[in-house]
Amino acid sequence: MSQPIKLSIPSHPKYLGLIRKVLQELLDTHEVPEETARRLILCVDEACSNVIKHSYEGPCEEPIEATFFFDGEDFKVQIRDYGKQCDSSEIKPRCLDTIKPGGLGTHFINEIMDEVSYCTERAKGTLLTMVKKLKCELTSGQEKDKE
Amino acid sequence: MSIELKLEHPADNTVTVSIQGDIDMSSSTKVRDTLTPLFQDNNKAIIVDLSGVSYIDSSGIATLVEGLQWSHSNQSKFRLASMTPGVKDVFEIARLLTVFEVFDTKEEALAP
Repeated sequence: MSQPIKLSIPSHPKYLGLIRKVLQELLDTHEVPEETARRLILCVDEACSNVIKHSYEGPCEEPIEATFFFDGEDFKVQIRDYGKQCDSSEIKPRCLDTIKPGGLGTHFINEIMDEVSYCTERAKGTLLTMVKKLKCELTSGQEKDKE
Repeated sequence: MSIELKLEHPADNTVTVSIQGDIDMSSSTKVRDTLTPLFQDNNKAIIVDLSGVSYIDSSGIATLVEGLQWSHSNQSKFRLASMTPGVKDVFEIARLLTVFEVFDTKEEALAP
């Protein structure tokens, strides 16, 4: 596994663009195909937005720590917060049959990532771990480059 | 990151909203604050030009769904034009691409 990249931002929406930019650079460095990179960035952005909304319950200056790992063919992201904990079994995507505003962030994460887990077994906050298996994406991206 | 919104009135009761910048949790409030008054006017068609938007998250989608709901309850048009690939992909994952009226260009979206 290569050294993880760690980034800590204050829990204010104005810093979400920063975390997207850093992750874009990192994924470019590892030659992750554009479409996959866009989707991974969406997941991280949504996860951080959820922390701001639900764990810290609004914009503030509490820490959101993001750690990015490239482990062989896997890309792993961990998002750590120190806010309110909730029952992780209740974090589920909503049914998409009803067209209504809101509630899509968890759907995006579950749809795009291969593994998603929330750990609240700690004194404060939550550790979200998301894994994307990149093998197929990297192969298809390299084949596109050859064309 | 800042977001810019430009309103134009190309015809009676028709307004186009051109958005430039990322639509995320920090900027979707500005988009909502711009669109909401348009729902209360006598508009019959609102066209949202997304050609300047390379990123949209669930809060941005939620704002546009509010426009869709306005159009359904007022027998009006709420159309999206010129989606970039990144934005189109997010709509696709949300399974909303066929729910909205989506056009390749603003001009096509302005057609009756």
